Amino acid sequence: MDQRAILDHQFLVAAYAITWAVQLGYVAWLALKWRAQKRNAARNRQ
Amino acid sequence: MKKLAIGLYVAVTVALMVWGYYQAIYVAPTDAMQGEIFRIIFYHVPSASVAFLFFAVSLIGSIGYLAFRRNRDGWAQIADAWALAGAEVGVVFCTVVLLTGPIWGRRAWGIWWTWDARLTTTLVLWLIYVSYLLLRRFAAGPQMQTYAAVLGIFGALDVPIVYMSNRWWRTQHPAPVFGGSEGSGMDPSMVHPFLWNMLAWFCWGVLILGIRYSVERQHQKFAAQEAQEALNA
Repeated sequence: MDQRAILDHQFLVAAYAITWAVQLGYVAWLALKWRAQKRNAARNRQ
Repeated sequence: MKKLAIGLYVAVTVALMVWGYYQAIYVAPTDAMQGEIFRIIFYHVPSASVAFLFFAVSLIGSIGYLAFRRNRDGWAQIADAWALAGAEVGVVFCTVVLLTGPIWGRRAWGIWWTWDARLTTTLVLWLIYVSYLLLRRFAAGPQMQTYAAVLGIFGALDVPIVYMSNRWWRTQHPAPVFGGSEGSGMDPSMVHPFLWNMLAWFCWGVLILGIRYSVERQHQKFAAQEAQEALNA
């Protein structure tokens, strides 16, 4: 592979990795929020 | 039954994401002009499309909230939850667009960023909806939802401007691939991978939009219950 192809590959991997980091990070944050709300609701019911 | 349907939808979405990735990396041919870096299109463009769609959901939710807030509180709260979910998930997808775009631009144009109409209007769109989310997070009081709905409606006005920007003005950003001028379009061998990725990202987006909506509805019910208990005490 020439230098240009290597750089293209690295940039492509970075773009895909960043996309998944943002998406999965958001889903993880949603899951934490969901769990905290469930816990608060359960505490209030007691 | 509902749990089974949700589980099935999640399974189909995950399968579509894997299939989309396979199509993007292994099936779509390397672009003759841009080489491998062209494959960013399979994440960048669907993310932009889904962001636009969810900002439209937010617009409809905001209008619904303003329409129902005086006489049908239940409907207004549902509309408001959709408005918030649309804006927040739209911001997530718009963030992906604003991060993958410069990575692509650095290789294709030799620069990370330029203040052309497409890039600038997209950044403005992102900033408007981030301010919408900040308003919802930090403002208090009964008028907060109304202010947010108004901001959501004005924010959505930027979406058609972003969409049309590379048709109305000369931009560094390429002319539209689909629905552009004569000669625009994509090689047929790339169209199928592109459409698979559009479908996969759409399904993924709907999934997290649905989750966000459910979280917000749960939050609303919890807040209403707390308010009722405070009144009874």
